[in-house]
Amino acid sequence: MPDLHATAERRQHIEKRWLAAFESSAIGIAMADLAGRFLEANSVFRNMLGYTESELYQLNYLDVTYEEDRNTNLELARELVEGKRQHFQIEKRYCRKDGTLVWVRNNVALVPGTGGVAPLLFAVIEDITRRKEEESARRYTEEKYRLIVETAPDAVICVDESSTILLTNPASTRVFGYDPAELIGKPLTILMPEFLRKLHEAGFKRYLATGQRHINWQGTELTGLRKNGQEFPVEVSFGELIKDGHPVFTGFIRDISERKQAEEIQKQAQKAIQTMHAELARVSRFTTMGELAASIAHEVNQPLTAVNNNSNACLRLLANQNLQPDVLRGALEEIVADGMRASAIIARIRAFIKKEPVGKNRLDVNQVIGEVLTMTGHGFEENRIVLKSELAQSLPPVLGDRVQLQQVLLNLIMNGTEAMSMVTDRPRLLCVQSRIDESSDVLIAVCDSGTGLGLEADRVFDPFFTTKVNGMGMGLSISRSLIEGHGGRLWATPNSPHGAVFSFTLPVAGGSPS
Amino acid sequence: MTGAPVVFVVDDDPSVRSSLKRLISTVGLQVESFESADTFLQRKPPDAPSCLVLDVRLRGLSGLDFQRELAARNIRIPIVFITGHGDIPMTVKAMKAGAIEFLTKPFRDQDLLDAVRIALERDQSRHEQEKELTDVKQRFNSLTPREQEVISMVVSGMLNKQIADQLGTAENTVKVHRSRAMEKMHAQSVAELVKMIEKLKNSSEKTP
Repeated sequence: MPDLHATAERRQHIEKRWLAAFESSAIGIAMADLAGRFLEANSVFRNMLGYTESELYQLNYLDVTYEEDRNTNLELARELVEGKRQHFQIEKRYCRKDGTLVWVRNNVALVPGTGGVAPLLFAVIEDITRRKEEESARRYTEEKYRLIVETAPDAVICVDESSTILLTNPASTRVFGYDPAELIGKPLTILMPEFLRKLHEAGFKRYLATGQRHINWQGTELTGLRKNGQEFPVEVSFGELIKDGHPVFTGFIRDISERKQAEEIQKQAQKAIQTMHAELARVSRFTTMGELAASIAHEVNQPLTAVNNNSNACLRLLANQNLQPDVLRGALEEIVADGMRASAIIARIRAFIKKEPVGKNRLDVNQVIGEVLTMTGHGFEENRIVLKSELAQSLPPVLGDRVQLQQVLLNLIMNGTEAMSMVTDRPRLLCVQSRIDESSDVLIAVCDSGTGLGLEADRVFDPFFTTKVNGMGMGLSISRSLIEGHGGRLWATPNSPHGAVFSFTLPVAGGSPS
Repeated sequence: MTGAPVVFVVDDDPSVRSSLKRLISTVGLQVESFESADTFLQRKPPDAPSCLVLDVRLRGLSGLDFQRELAARNIRIPIVFITGHGDIPMTVKAMKAGAIEFLTKPFRDQDLLDAVRIALERDQSRHEQEKELTDVKQRFNSLTPREQEVISMVVSGMLNKQIADQLGTAENTVKVHRSRAMEKMHAQSVAELVKMIEKLKNSSEKTP
């Protein structure tokens, strides 16, 4: 026979325990009648909504449910009441007393009536506001990335660890010519020309096995293969993501055909300009040499004339039987001397235009200046020009092409000479200087007392600009590029009180003297 | 004007200068050489036919400048130009200014010697003309003022009587003046006298 007293005591004990559990639960618990009016609610739930107990028990659960969620909630509750389901779960929003919203997940069950106790709705309510916010943020981020990938001008392709394509973006279609459906599930090698496939497979395997990357993952230039069989240059970057313990690789593939084409065109244009410049430099060299030819012709002509005269004198004396040994010997000695003189001039010209080994050698600037001045010497006398050379002693050698430096110097000296051809009211003074400048470069200056540059100072280095009647306008432009080719500068400044100064610098040759 | 002809060579190149001197000497001409125009100008002009063999390109004064300078100083020596390379404008300029020849180095010896011969002949005849003029001038200057007056009137075509009237003297006196003046002037006829006076007039017009 049951101990009634003990049983009642035990029931009381259980009720107390349940009540305590109900009240101190970490989760919201509420009960409502089948019409929806709150009967009981624990403090977690009351706090969730901000109502007191008495306020809450005046309300129907629909009163505190957010408008948009009411119908769904009502429908589910009806089904529950009608016995169509045992319980339901809903994620919905409550309106707090202060008007703000709280996201909750409700698990609602129908508790059937027993012995005078009416059936009721039993709900366990979890505040999921934080999770909802996180979800929303994640959705936003995902949406953002999706948008970026879909609108990216580069093809974005994801592959799995077997190098099978998982996903492509619209740009992939544009770049490779395949629809996404044609790519997904296919090996990535479908987008590569034959010669790259084996390399890719080997590299991919090696990476999976060892983690060693065999190419740069940021911007490697490779070759792609379009659906139409056309190969084209691409620039590829990779990213790796571990999903459920498996790596997913995302490749960003940029079609760089146009860039490559532009680079190629630019390269060719550059080459064409270089060729043209070299050709012009050659032409200009011949022009300069041509200008020199007159001076050389005169120099060689002098001894030849003397040889002719003396020879003819001897022939005449012999024909006249006028055999004065002193006279004949004098004539013959002079013939020999003039023959030597002519060959010395020719040797000098040879030395001047001799072929130096191609490229730059260690040169003594003063020596180069001396060579050029020897060649132009006669022109100075003829034009009544006073030549002054102020050359710094013991200059360090420069690294240069002898012929090119001679050409630049000749050009500057001839320009200076021409600039003074109309000067009659002052001395025609040409000064050639060499020294070390402030930057420790070797500086060479050619100063004249000619007409000066005036307003044209800035333009004299422009190609095809000339102040001379027969000038081609290339001399200074070419000279400047030759000097720049030596790592130096060439510029013009006014001379005081008259004329112009053309200066150029050459870097000192490094290393030990050879 | 009795000396032997002289050829002056002006060239700044010593071997050309020396060879020219030797070559020209072979035809028996006297040659003097100078290294510049200035040194040549310091030499006193010779009392003999002469010519100049001149290099166009000279240090200091150029050949063409020198030619101008000589003309300005009224030194009328014939010039044979030689040049290393002569262009046409330069040649034209030299020839217009009275050069005998313009030779490009190296030249044929005969061309030079021919040019020198022509230059000397021209100078010779110029000298003769100048000498004749000097003689006439001297003779004219030896006349008395009255004789000069009478002769001027004779040359202008006046008769003795007209002259006497104008001078207010006797016709016989005029005759005496006239015959003495004719004698002093070494004139055989009035026609010859007219020529002489013309020459004097021309020369005084040229050098006032």
